[in-house]
Amino acid sequence: MSINETPTIAADAAAEAERQQSLLAALWSADLAAASGQLPCREGPVSVARGLSAYRANAGANAARALGAAYPTVQALIGADDFQRLARDHWLQTAPVCGDLAEWGGSLGSWLDRQQALVEWPYLGDCARLDWAVHRCERAADAVLDVDSIARLGDTDPHRLHFELRPGLAVLRSRWPVVMLHEAHRLADPAPALAAVRAALARDVGETAVVVRAPGGWRTQLHRIDAATATWTEHLLAGASFTDALSAVGDMSDGAKGSAFDLATWLASALRDGWLKGIRVDPD
Amino acid sequence: MPVASSPVRRELAGIGLRQPHYAQVIEDPPAIGFVEVHSENFYADGGASLAVLDEARAHHPVSLHGVGLALGSAAGIDRWHLDRLDRLVRRIEPAFVSDHACFARAARAPGSAVMHANDLLPLAFTEASLDILCNNVSRVQDRLQRTLLVENLSAYLTFHDNTLSEHEFLADLCHRTGCGLLLDVNNLMVNALNDRVADPLAQGLAFIDALPRGIVGEIHLAGYCETPDIVIDDHGSVVRPAVWTLYEHALQRFGAVPTLIEWDTDVPTLDVLLGQAQQATARLAQVVR
Repeated sequence: MSINETPTIAADAAAEAERQQSLLAALWSADLAAASGQLPCREGPVSVARGLSAYRANAGANAARALGAAYPTVQALIGADDFQRLARDHWLQTAPVCGDLAEWGGSLGSWLDRQQALVEWPYLGDCARLDWAVHRCERAADAVLDVDSIARLGDTDPHRLHFELRPGLAVLRSRWPVVMLHEAHRLADPAPALAAVRAALARDVGETAVVVRAPGGWRTQLHRIDAATATWTEHLLAGASFTDALSAVGDMSDGAKGSAFDLATWLASALRDGWLKGIRVDPD
Repeated sequence: MPVASSPVRRELAGIGLRQPHYAQVIEDPPAIGFVEVHSENFYADGGASLAVLDEARAHHPVSLHGVGLALGSAAGIDRWHLDRLDRLVRRIEPAFVSDHACFARAARAPGSAVMHANDLLPLAFTEASLDILCNNVSRVQDRLQRTLLVENLSAYLTFHDNTLSEHEFLADLCHRTGCGLLLDVNNLMVNALNDRVADPLAQGLAFIDALPRGIVGEIHLAGYCETPDIVIDDHGSVVRPAVWTLYEHALQRFGAVPTLIEWDTDVPTLDVLLGQAQQATARLAQVVR
C-alpha cells in the first residue's frame, strides 16, 4: 500500500459507516416512504420500501419476543396485541445497544410509568420491575452456599463481616400488591387469585419482595418481606458490612420497620431459602 | 467442566436445538451429527439454559451460531459481545463457531451512540465493506484462536454501488482472513426468488459453481415463506424441493460438508425436524459412499 492510498481508504470506510448509519436511521424512522427514498439502494423487483418494511417487521417481532420473555406479567396484564404495539414503541424509543436481546428492556418499568395511555394501571411499572428482577435472577451466576464461612459469625469481629447474597437476589418495594399480581398470572386459572388482587388493590395493600433463585434449582422464587428486612437486604446488596446493615435497621422507627428485625430468624430463612452465598471477612 | 466433545460425524446432518426440544434431545439423544444453538441465547452468567447446553454437549457435538456479532459493522465488534462469545466457546468447546456477513451496529446519526439493530442487515459488496468485514473477522478469530465460519445472507435490500459480486466478496473474505464459508443454500434460493429471475434455480446453481472449492465449512438448509410481493427467509417450514436440488449440487461440488436443518419459527415436533435431517443425511450418504 502506498502512502497516498491511506486517505482514500479512510474515506471509503467513512462512506461505508455513513451507509450503515443511513440504513439504521431508516429502520428507526417514522416516515418509511421518505426514509426508503434516501437510501443508496437499487429499486428492484422487491421495492426498497418493501425490503425496508420486511426488516422493520422483523424488528417488531424481535422486540415483542424479547420483552415477552422478560415481562410475562406485563404481557398478561395488557394483552398480547397491545403488548406487541408497546414492544414496538419501546424498541423505537429505546433502541438496543447490545446483540443479546435478553439484555434489552431493563428500563421498561420507568418507561411505562411515563406512558399517559397506561395511567389506569399505575402498578404496571412496579410489575415490570418485578418481572425484570426475576428475569435477571434467572440469568445470574450459579452459586452454592459456602457453608464453612458461616462459622465466622462465631469467631470473628462482627465489624469485619460481610454477608454476601446469592447472585441475582434483588429487593423490590411497591405500594401495590405486585407479588399477588405476579403469582396470579402464573396460574392456569388466575380468576380467583385476580379477585384477591382486586380486593388488595381496593385496600391499598403494598408488597415488598425478595427475588431469589430456589435453592438447588433454576426457578426464581418470590418471598414477601417487611420493611426492616428490605432495608437490611438492600444494605447488604450495596456492600455494607454486617454491623452497618444492622445499624441501618436499628435507625428505623418501629413504625417504619413493619415488625422487629431478628437476625437469627433472618439467618434461618436465608439458609433455608438460598439467600446467602457466604460470609466474607474484611482483612485486618 | 464438561467432558470433551465428540467429533462431528460428517455423514449425519445436524439440527438447530430450540427450547421446545431441549428435554427430548437430552433424555433420548437422536442419531444426528451435531446440534447448533444461537450463541446469544447462552450469554447469561448462569441458569437453566447453560445447564441444558452442558447436557446436550455430553451427547452431541455443539455448533455455536451467532446472530449478533455484526461482523460487517463499520463501528466494529462490540467488546462485551466478543467477551461473552469467548467465555462460551471456552466452556462448550464447540465443533464450529459461526456468524453472518452482515452489519447491525451503527450510530443513527454521526456522533450519536452506537446501537445494535439485532438483525442481519445487508452489506454493500465493495472493497471498503470487505476491508471492514475482514478486519472484524480477523479480530474475532484472533480472540477465539479458531477459524470462524461466516454465513451468506438472504437480503431484502441491494445497494446500487456494489462493485463485487456476492460470491467474489465471500471468496475474498475467506481468502484474506482464513475463515470458512457457512453456505446457506436456502438463502441463495430466497435471493433468487426475490430477484424474480427467469430461472431462480439456475441462479443458485451458478452461485455454487462460482465459489472456490475448499472454503465451505458448513451448509444450512431451511424453509422460506412466500408472500405476494416478497419471499421471507423465516425458517418456518420444510426445505423446498429446489433447495434440496441446490444442496445436492453443493455436495457434489464441495463434498460431505456438515449440514444443518434450521427451523426457528413455528417450530414443529422433533420428529418432523429429525425427518428433515434424515433427508439431508440420505443425500450426504450419496457423497460419502
